[in-house]
Amino acid sequence: VTSSRVVIGLGSPDRGDDAVGLEVARRVADLHLPGVTVVEHEDPTGLIDLWDTADLAVVVDAVRSGSAPGSLLVVEAGADAGPLADRAWARTGRGGTHAFGLAAAVELGRALHRLPHRLVLVGVEATQFEHGTALGAPVAAALDAVVATVVGLVATATPQVEAVSHVSG
Amino acid sequence: MTHKLSDGGQVLHVGMLARVEGEGGMHIEIHNDVVQSVKLNIFEPPRFYEAFLRGRKYTEPPDITARICGICPVAYQTASVEAIEQICGAETTPEIQAMRRLLYCGEWIESHSLHIFMLHAPDFLGFDSVIEMAADYGDVVEMALRLKKAGNDLMTLVGGRAIHPVNVKVGGFYRMPTKLEMLALRPAIASGLEEAFATIKLVSTFDFPEMEQAYEYVALRHPDYYAIERGTVVSTSGTAFPVREFPDHVKEFHVAHSNALHASLDGGGPYVVGPLARYTLNHDRLSPLAREAAREGGLDVTCRNPFKSIIVRAVELVEVFVEAIRIIDAWQDGVAPSVPVPARAGEGFGATEAPRGVLFHRYRLDADGMILDAQIVPPTSQNQPSIEADLRTLVEQWIELSDHDLSHRCEHAIRNYDPCISCATHFLDLTVERS
Repeated sequence: VTSSRVVIGLGSPDRGDDAVGLEVARRVADLHLPGVTVVEHEDPTGLIDLWDTADLAVVVDAVRSGSAPGSLLVVEAGADAGPLADRAWARTGRGGTHAFGLAAAVELGRALHRLPHRLVLVGVEATQFEHGTALGAPVAAALDAVVATVVGLVATATPQVEAVSHVSG
Repeated sequence: MTHKLSDGGQVLHVGMLARVEGEGGMHIEIHNDVVQSVKLNIFEPPRFYEAFLRGRKYTEPPDITARICGICPVAYQTASVEAIEQICGAETTPEIQAMRRLLYCGEWIESHSLHIFMLHAPDFLGFDSVIEMAADYGDVVEMALRLKKAGNDLMTLVGGRAIHPVNVKVGGFYRMPTKLEMLALRPAIASGLEEAFATIKLVSTFDFPEMEQAYEYVALRHPDYYAIERGTVVSTSGTAFPVREFPDHVKEFHVAHSNALHASLDGGGPYVVGPLARYTLNHDRLSPLAREAAREGGLDVTCRNPFKSIIVRAVELVEVFVEAIRIIDAWQDGVAPSVPVPARAGEGFGATEAPRGVLFHRYRLDADGMILDAQIVPPTSQNQPSIEADLRTLVEQWIELSDHDLSHRCEHAIRNYDPCISCATHFLDLTVERS
């Protein structure tokens, strides 16, 4: 029996902390984890196509929940978990184009029965989203911990033998 | 949320307007069942793009201005490169223009499919959002996702990325996609054309409130095609002028209640840019298939009911799929991706049809190609007065509705315009005061 695992880094480059998902995806890709597909992605409306065939999907994104900058928020949001709260993740970055953000993608996926059994959202508390800026110091300092969290999630899933791939979404 | 006023009136506060891009609000005052004022309060902070273009190199605007908006970056890129190439006397090739149009087709597919299904259709079908709509209309939402993906894939192929493309440069592109790469997308584009017709069939069955806009419509017009990436400016009053005269005719002005500049055309009242204006002024430039789609959608050769903008967007979806197929089928590899663009002092003007309407750019360069001055007039700024005028008309028609229903209808009327507040701020929260 095989399982498919995908890590999706969501965000925008050159928009400060909003790039954290992309940076984590690159670092996870560099680890060449067997059977793990790593995707960098910007448009939340495309997430459903990326995760609906996976058994486990991990989405890494910047969040604003009021916690300390750089702190981690891990939320189980898959088909086996309950729906997200109405405002959960609503303030993630700019919420995606026309306010269709990660939370909307998760709940739309649930309504269409296109969520993976297990979908884990790994949020990194972000504070600044200025154009042309790099990750802020608190988020940059959290990268190792975020990568370790993501690796821990995908590595504990059932291993299988698919080829490694790294695609840009 | 409602509040009683000290004079016996009422304030209805609806909160942040949903399913639009950016942040703003609206304030409506009603006294004795007569609308006293309608104000779009755009409180998204000014973004100062025009200011920070100053002092940058003439090659930078396509990358800088693409960042103004995640849903219409190609509009910004194309308007900027057209303006700068004009200053520098660079003539692009027909192949570069065709590739710009193909990239722009991708943007229209992305933007129109998102707005038609994810943002606007829930209003007509009685859902709060596309998520609730998906429970009853799962097949429709799946179709929407496929359509949007076709647009994203086209943007990714030509632009290098689905959002904020990176393959556009002054003078053309860094790299042309190959015919083989384009043919790989063709089946999805062909399916998209069929599903655009299915979209027409769906949206034309919606119930449309009666409304006829009397405003002037303004759009670009091209001698050969349905204007998208270039054209001259025309209006329903017969005004026609080249893009370079845009600043002579369109004057921006500040109003106290909005961080986005309003605009007037030749000192007149509200005017409309966007799908209704494009369709009404350019029906004869649509492809035969898109005209057939319009007929199937129940449209005449003009359309002045803003609620039917959803049908017009579906017709435009057909048009851009037709155009994408035409360009892909005619493409031949081996052409130069760009032309040289030497720096030159001067002033240049560019205008394109963003999904929401005419977008205008003006730049002034010094002899070294440094940007001395930049002006950007986005479509939502131009449409603000007409959105306010629409609401004034509609609130008076709907005065007997409950505050809740009135608010819902007003939000629907605003979404007729698919307003992009991020672009305009340079925008929604709804307040109704009754007394």
